[in-house]
Amino acid sequence: MLQFAGFWMALATFLGIWWGHVGVRWLEAHSRSIWIPIVVLAVVGVGLNLAALLMPSILPNASADVLLTLSGVASIIGITLMWDGLEMYRQQNRIKKGHAPANRANPRHAAYLAAGMGTTEDLLAREPQGYLVNAPAPHQPVPHNASADRHSVVAQREYAEVESA
Amino acid sequence: MMWEGLALGFFSFGIIGFGFYWVIRLERFGGYLWWPYPMAIGILMIIVTLFLPDAGWSALLGITGGSFIWGATELKEQAVRAELGWFPFNPDKKDPPGVNWIKRIKAPHL
Repeated sequence: MLQFAGFWMALATFLGIWWGHVGVRWLEAHSRSIWIPIVVLAVVGVGLNLAALLMPSILPNASADVLLTLSGVASIIGITLMWDGLEMYRQQNRIKKGHAPANRANPRHAAYLAAGMGTTEDLLAREPQGYLVNAPAPHQPVPHNASADRHSVVAQREYAEVESA
Repeated sequence: MMWEGLALGFFSFGIIGFGFYWVIRLERFGGYLWWPYPMAIGILMIIVTLFLPDAGWSALLGITGGSFIWGATELKEQAVRAELGWFPFNPDKKDPPGVNWIKRIKAPHL
């Protein structure tokens, strides 16, 4: 009889890492504040690890192999979600440095762009060339002109709020 | 209390951390075209897990296999990061066996 514990662990590990890459990028790009998702990821992560610990009480009639599999999967996903909370913060720094594309529709990202940080270009969306390439210069600051561009004023104010937080 | 599950979670955390290390090293000294090799190792590990009688060893090998498959998908992006100067770039990489065959396949990435 085949042993599926390893297969489910492999799937949980791969999906945990996949979400940590693709999901965190999306969540950071679409969240007005990163702190709410960070708290949610941390709480869900801790909850899943508690569930992993208490699995024999949750499923008292399950076999030892099933308990180990479910407990392991819950803990793997839980720990990767907790790490993703930290990755949200690191992703924000990547946006500021221009290592990940900023989303103009996100006021927080618009504030970075207005302050001359980051870029909307996805520099990683290309094939490797085999030699060093020059990264484009960071986005130029938007001139402060309230009558011409109300959004830049809002963005500058939100940037100041983000920096002072 | 089931501490084994929590131990598996921490093991996956460690093996993912090790994954970042070997992906950076393999890309620097070999290049991203090595990607089929960790991919094959990962798939092989997962196949082996199906035939292990002990669920614990099967779980540990499955986690390692899953992280190897992810590492294979990360090599291409790591190559781009190195070319952009975000990581040290090595121009004298050692090509993998079967490099001409590998070049015909689009390298996967997340």
